[in-house]
Amino acid sequence: MDVLGDIQFYVMNCHHYADIPAQDERFASSWVDMPNSEFDPVRGHQMYERYSRELRLIEELGYDAIGLNEHHNTPFSLMPAPSVRAGHVIASTERIKIMVAGVPLNLSTPNRVAEEYAMLDVMSGGRMEFGFPLGTGMEYWSNAAQMDPVTARARFREGLDVVLKAWTEPGPQRYEGEHFFYRYLNIWPRPYQQPRPKIYIMGGGSPETVDVAVEFDAGYSVVFTPIPVQLRAFADLREKCAARGRELAGEDIMLTVMAYVADTDAEAEREGRPYMERFFSWFHRVPPKYMTPPGYVTRANFERLASTRALAAAQESTWEDMRAIGRIAIGSPETVAETIAHWAREAGSSRIMLNMTHANMPEEMTVKNLTLFANEVIPRIRTRTAVAR
Amino acid sequence: MSGLRERRLELGGVEVALYEAGEGEPLLFLHGAGTATGFDSLLPLAEHFRLIVPHHPGYGASADDPAIRSVHDYERHYLDLLDRLEISDFTLVGHSMGGWIAATLAISQGARISELVLAAPWGLNVPEHPTVDGFSIPDAELAGYLTADLSVFAGKAPDPPTPEFLADRYRELTSTARVLWQHTYDPSLARWLHRIQVPTLLLWGELDRLIPVGQLPAWRSLLATADARVLPGVGHLLFDESAQASAAIVEHAHRHAVR
Repeated sequence: MDVLGDIQFYVMNCHHYADIPAQDERFASSWVDMPNSEFDPVRGHQMYERYSRELRLIEELGYDAIGLNEHHNTPFSLMPAPSVRAGHVIASTERIKIMVAGVPLNLSTPNRVAEEYAMLDVMSGGRMEFGFPLGTGMEYWSNAAQMDPVTARARFREGLDVVLKAWTEPGPQRYEGEHFFYRYLNIWPRPYQQPRPKIYIMGGGSPETVDVAVEFDAGYSVVFTPIPVQLRAFADLREKCAARGRELAGEDIMLTVMAYVADTDAEAEREGRPYMERFFSWFHRVPPKYMTPPGYVTRANFERLASTRALAAAQESTWEDMRAIGRIAIGSPETVAETIAHWAREAGSSRIMLNMTHANMPEEMTVKNLTLFANEVIPRIRTRTAVAR
Repeated sequence: MSGLRERRLELGGVEVALYEAGEGEPLLFLHGAGTATGFDSLLPLAEHFRLIVPHHPGYGASADDPAIRSVHDYERHYLDLLDRLEISDFTLVGHSMGGWIAATLAISQGARISELVLAAPWGLNVPEHPTVDGFSIPDAELAGYLTADLSVFAGKAPDPPTPEFLADRYRELTSTARVLWQHTYDPSLARWLHRIQVPTLLLWGELDRLIPVGQLPAWRSLLATADARVLPGVGHLLFDESAQASAAIVEHAHRHAVR
């Protein structure tokens, strides 16, 4: 079946702190050690109010889902606790799905995450989906060092096992793992959706995260890696799932796309591109050591990254690089529809996670972007299926 | 003077590399959290001792051992090594993180050790002179924290560093994080140092920016039998920076032999 026949559009709102400081070159990093004296609580309140308006608009415009995620110590995200935000979104919307993607399990304890998510699922009457990230390297510098990055992957795998057993197997149960030991795993409430809400593993394209998606029959999403690496990861996933007798559906692969639409290609580029470039120049400002705390990747993977960095250091990252890393779809409704339809078919994906609020883009531009996309792009993508059939 | 001879051993299924030179009473040297500068600077010790320099599991030419999660796993690893080499009466020298392992070993194995040398040892909580958290030092500043004499890296670190060299350092940092990520000191060390009764030398570089020499009095107050020697103009990599570091060990050994 054409993946476009089942296509759904999610909108991720990362809740950027939208005021980029003056002379931002003063800061070597916008993550981990970016001084929080730059955070103004009154402006912060205004931003939460603004993003609340955007989230309600996303439902009004007919999108399928809202995406919420977690980061720490950074103006990239005013959402260190996405479940708190999800509780508010449940109360302020009626029908839209909400994907929390999500709490890095290692930064909490797995039974608490299972409970928290089950609570959201029951409160929302089954509107929830969940993404499980290992957490960026930066999170391991920003949270208690008692969670060491060397054992992070092993704990993540086992933590996910705890969450899924807590959700799907009758309690009380005893769980004795290498990292977690529960005498009475017995969550109240249990999830509304049976046997469990849909889950995705949020990866960076490494074989290790693909393996977790395979082992737990989860969907898979790759964030901020160049398109060829994403496609390799999807092919790897498809092959490994097939070996276990599982055929991947379009809904099992989630594409993350940065989109900006205007009436014409030229107008979109003139209006949107500066904010997208600002997104990369500000929010992608992370010293390599923060991205890879000790043990977060293998020695071999580190050597590969170090080689790529040496190349990257030799040349400024270009607009074309950004487009491949961020899957930037920018242009007229026709251009954006064609770009996303092509990517969806190429990846075999029918779940598109859109980022529509870019860096310090003003609210009116985001509203215009969301509205044009909903009214002009989505119907064009859906029409393509009709034609293909 | 001949160089260090390499030998490989398998201990508990993990291949470890040893570097040896000289004859006589064994001297086991436990290195710090990196092997990049090599150990040729220790060769003067081989004129007086049977020098044995193992690479810790997870460092240099030794394989990784995922079972190592605490200093006590290193302690047991070295008990395995001592048994394999059939060494019972020996001089134990530990530098930096290796000083912490050496102190831990000396707490439980006093009877086997004839003399202990702790060179800029990691592990004690001295609030007035805290150990700098090496993980937090920006990459560009790290060398300046490690040494007062940047020439110690000449010919030992490629400039600019190659991806392979950086990946080797990342692997050693990962091994270090297995035991050091959670603290900049060992919370229980001070409680047990009183068990060390063997003649001990505390050796420190005056200009150590990583583990300040200001920590020396705290160690002395907990080690009843310790002498101290501070090397002027020297930083944390004291064996690489000054021949006086090895010479001080030899002198200390002679003084105890005379006594």
